[in-house]
Amino acid sequence: MTGERTFQKFKRLISKKAFLLWLDSLKKDYKLIGPRYYRGNQAVFKEVDSSKELFMEYESAMLSPGKLFLYKPQEELFRFTFNETSNPPSPPFSKRGMGGFSSKKITVDEIKPDMAKQVIVGVHPCDVNAILYLDRTFLGAFKDPHYEARRKNTLIISLNCTHVGGNCFCSSVGAGPFLHSVGGYDVLLTDFESEYLVEIKSREAEELFGLEGRGAGRDEMRFKAEKEKAMQGKFRKTLNVSGLDNIFAENMEHPVWQQTAEEKCLSCSNCVMVCPTCFCYDLRDEMSMNLKTVTRYRCFDACLDIRFAEVHGGNFRQSRAARLRQFVAHKLDQTNQYGVFGTVGCGRCITWCPTGIDLTEIAEELRTKN
Amino acid sequence: MSHELSTMNPLKPLRAKVDDVKIEAEGVKTYTLSTEFPFLAEPGQFNMIGYPGVGEAPISLSAIVNDGSFKHTIKSVGRVTDFLKDFKKGDELFFRGPYGRSWPVKKAEKKDVLIIAGGVGLAPLRPVIQIVLKRREAFGEVSLIYGARNEKNMLFMDEFKIWEKDISLYITVDEVSDVSKSPHPPFTKGGRGGINIGLVTDLIDGMKIKPERAIAFVCGPEIMMRFICRGLIMHGMSQSSLYVSLERRMKCGIAQCGHCQHSGLFVCQDGPVFSYKEVCGLPDGVL
Repeated sequence: MTGERTFQKFKRLISKKAFLLWLDSLKKDYKLIGPRYYRGNQAVFKEVDSSKELFMEYESAMLSPGKLFLYKPQEELFRFTFNETSNPPSPPFSKRGMGGFSSKKITVDEIKPDMAKQVIVGVHPCDVNAILYLDRTFLGAFKDPHYEARRKNTLIISLNCTHVGGNCFCSSVGAGPFLHSVGGYDVLLTDFESEYLVEIKSREAEELFGLEGRGAGRDEMRFKAEKEKAMQGKFRKTLNVSGLDNIFAENMEHPVWQQTAEEKCLSCSNCVMVCPTCFCYDLRDEMSMNLKTVTRYRCFDACLDIRFAEVHGGNFRQSRAARLRQFVAHKLDQTNQYGVFGTVGCGRCITWCPTGIDLTEIAEELRTKN
Repeated sequence: MSHELSTMNPLKPLRAKVDDVKIEAEGVKTYTLSTEFPFLAEPGQFNMIGYPGVGEAPISLSAIVNDGSFKHTIKSVGRVTDFLKDFKKGDELFFRGPYGRSWPVKKAEKKDVLIIAGGVGLAPLRPVIQIVLKRREAFGEVSLIYGARNEKNMLFMDEFKIWEKDISLYITVDEVSDVSKSPHPPFTKGGRGGINIGLVTDLIDGMKIKPERAIAFVCGPEIMMRFICRGLIMHGMSQSSLYVSLERRMKCGIAQCGHCQHSGLFVCQDGPVFSYKEVCGLPDGVL
């Protein structure tokens, strides 16, 4: 659901068992997607056959549901077909063929967006905020039809966190551990031991949700607030965001960039791939083996890649230090872009960095040693 | 309940027919294109030009759009532009656009206009020159200061004679190459004392500029724009009266793919034309 401002439709206490049965009942119209156990506290967001497969107590998932089921890692956009007499470009491209270049003889097919309805359950607050961030990219002045279709046909059931991971710092940026965003999701769950506090936030969810349960009143909301407060106290990682923009602006040449780039960063782009807000993509054309069709597809791209900012005659981020700085600054600075931080504090880039680069440590270094 | 979609894919390329190809300089051609769709653009905007199987590249419009007919002046340097160099009249390619923020021509009215270009950087500025020539009385003194490596790399030389009737031309090259091998007839007079040898910034140093009534549109290699802007500031011009057009890698042109990001700015959407004040001193650039 998107576009509709969320307001509280109603809130009820529902037994977990009943709630999961309700989820199963959605399966006749929706694909059911949720966290499945992977190992330890880790889950993987996947389509499930039954709510029994869900691992709702998960701490984190390597890939965010937004970048798996709304914005896809790879997506076919267009198919160009070269008809009999037209002249497909063949390497070397400079060789001109017999027939000239005629686009009239090329059919352009726009791949239609996938309109399948899906429900994603168990989305942590950081990942809901990340989806709201992706909305700014793909539902801005130019709307991406694939993203828009999936966004409109996806029911998002968020789940307030019950665990704080070692690299989580969402509380420092207001993106968790409990969800407070004004819109962009359908249902919010809070774990009340044997029950869920179910807050219905969208009209669509209201129409679908048939369970009566117990009405939740002031006592339950107070209990929820206490739970949130207890969670706030569990964070081991924090990020001091006050004045971060100035700190970045003044420290573009700080030695931490060069040093981290030389001693640690491999430009492997793991951080970008696991980041739930990294939206960059590449457009690629793939020619079929018989030279008859070209598929133009989009796939994730990463600013850590050396060719990312390359133009003829130069590269605006030739050095690894500059590329590392771009990634970190896009998360912690550059709020001029969308008016919000690029980080939701999920800590995935820290968890999955093979050399242990920690952007909160970089920020702290900029703050204290300038 | 099923949801209606509001949009067609903005990345879908449209067909354009090559109506004319003109050699401008070494490796540089101007393509006159037309399309079956209505097309309008502002000076300084760009299109993504491409071909299936080859890809797309952002290219500025090099003339004002005339009854749906538009021009791109393209130097063959990369995968896409190198592919385009073989296109002839009657061929067809794909494009989408126009995108981006244009030169603030309205703001330049009644002012002295400095149009400063280096190499192929003159192409995105030619629509501004054309507007000035069309409505000459709307502007104060207008000068074109243009530098190129040598006269073989100089664009639109055959138009200089017309231009210099109405605007002052200051031309400079880094070196003079063999004029006899130039695709153009050798030119002897570039205006204001003919062809100079040296940097564009040297020309600017020697100019008389009234900073309070001047506005500058600058396009060329970023390092050149850096020194030009600094030179103009030495003349007393303010950062906000200087405009530059930036080049970045772009895949989408619609502020999604992220390639052109420049400290939180999307060059494709927030630019490519920026006031110097907006982009001066940003990291990963040299302005």
